[in-house]
Amino acid sequence: MIQYAAIILFVFGFYGLLTNKNVIKMIISLNIMEIGLNIFIISIGFVYDGIAPIISSTVDAGLIYVDPLPQALVLTAIVIGVGTTALALAVAKSIYSKHHTFDLDEVEEAL
Amino acid sequence: MSAILLIAIPLLAAFLSIMLKKFAPYLLLGVGVFNVVLLFLIPEGFVILGGFNQPLGINLLLDTYSKIALMLVNAVVVVIAFVNIKEYSKFSSILLIAIAGLNGLILTNDLFNLYVFLEISAIAAYLISTSNKKPVKTFHYIIIGAVGSSLFLFGVVILYAMFGTLNMVDLIQKIQLTNNYSQLILPFLLMFIGLGVEVKLLPFNSWVKGVLGESNTLSGPMIASAYAAAFGFVLGRLITNLFLFEGSLLTVVTVILAVGIVMGDLMAFASNKAREILLYSSVAQAAIVAMLFVNGIVIWAVYLIVANALSKLVMFLVVNKAVKDVGSDEVNKLQGLFSKNVIVGLAFTLVTLSVMGLPLLVGFTLKLRYLTELASLNQIWLIAVILVASLIEGIYFVKLLLKLWYEGQEKVEVKYNVTFKVVFVIIAIALLTFGTYSTPLNNLDDSIDTITEVVNNG
Repeated sequence: MIQYAAIILFVFGFYGLLTNKNVIKMIISLNIMEIGLNIFIISIGFVYDGIAPIISSTVDAGLIYVDPLPQALVLTAIVIGVGTTALALAVAKSIYSKHHTFDLDEVEEAL
Repeated sequence: MSAILLIAIPLLAAFLSIMLKKFAPYLLLGVGVFNVVLLFLIPEGFVILGGFNQPLGINLLLDTYSKIALMLVNAVVVVIAFVNIKEYSKFSSILLIAIAGLNGLILTNDLFNLYVFLEISAIAAYLISTSNKKPVKTFHYIIIGAVGSSLFLFGVVILYAMFGTLNMVDLIQKIQLTNNYSQLILPFLLMFIGLGVEVKLLPFNSWVKGVLGESNTLSGPMIASAYAAAFGFVLGRLITNLFLFEGSLLTVVTVILAVGIVMGDLMAFASNKAREILLYSSVAQAAIVAMLFVNGIVIWAVYLIVANALSKLVMFLVVNKAVKDVGSDEVNKLQGLFSKNVIVGLAFTLVTLSVMGLPLLVGFTLKLRYLTELASLNQIWLIAVILVASLIEGIYFVKLLLKLWYEGQEKVEVKYNVTFKVVFVIIAIALLTFGTYSTPLNNLDDSIDTITEVVNNG
């Protein structure tokens, strides 16, 4: 179920990217898309009734752990997403400094 | 000496270059030369990181295929850094990150790690494109690139969910055991589209015109030559080892690539701008490379990537320097460029004729070989597509050459310094030499193996 929600979020983000012409809104859409993807990655490792994958001193035979690898992957994906967003925002600032607007339609008209 | 140094040293140097800004360009050149020399010293094979054997942990694979790729990419970056050492010294740290990203991309044997390096090199590419001073075009590149990488990651995660591994060797072995091919179509397609954005495959390449069409002597050669070569090699690695293009998926991919070849050349034909002609020609060439990989013609695809990278390096450097000095990239405004730059003109002409596939040049040898291979696979209509595209390519390149050689009414004053001329002449001579003496090319034929062959051969 959570995977459907993640895919819907991804599609929403993609739709936002296609329909928005405002640079900041496009960056937000990109983030929504990435969050959808991150939730999808996390959902891959989910195990029903699973516990955190931490080895303890107590006997843990028979216990079910969630898959820790997607959690590790998603951490990296989040960091990369933040990096891309920061860069996109820096470029957005540069667009504003040059054209005095965040709207790509207005920029194209001015050109 | 280990292959990990090819990634670690540029990364370390990138951090140092921020603190030692004055020495950053020299650090870049030093690291580039160090990488090329290192490639001759390190043995081929798997590099296990952190003591985790396969399939656990991340490992790198250095074989003949990746060695050729690394040699080419590092050498091309050194040349680009050398000719831009004064003008774009601020970009040295970014170029170091780009080297680390591209080397990692080629070396890694782990799919998620591939995504990470894809993003590192893509972020470096976005930053390199800011040198064009066209922030809107850079923004488009970031958005399209980020969507492409996300789709690639989506494909990787689906594969992980299906097979429980990210290690390429392990994944290939597990895929070979499965018979349910229909489930693999979605992840493969997502990964192909994701990489297709960076490889400039039509229709995922809408960023190319904005970035390469406004490029300079740094961004043009970097993206059209170094990046195009690295991503071409990665796409080839995945197509020949991982992706199973069969049935209707194979038809769809082949049609997309065939359309890409013809459309790329048609758009170049329709353009009057020098940079656009070159960038659309690159789009068509990228589609030909992907087409050869899809048809299993690996060796000639590899040589085509090498020849394209060297040719586009010269072409973009010549044109972008001229565009900078003249202030326009209209072919009519550049008319007579070579009348006072005979050496540059001769080198550019040789390189262009090689891309067109004229005899005595390496482009001809390659075209003849891969068309022969396609004929042996009975891909007659693909041969027809490539020949039609070559005809269109021939017309627009000859038109371009005639304009650049014969003086118009306005005098064009462009001065290329000695560094540029040396690079152009060396590459032109190399293309001429390997066009007439193809024995070394034939000798490497058997040494490029698939990952499975590398594993089986120990």
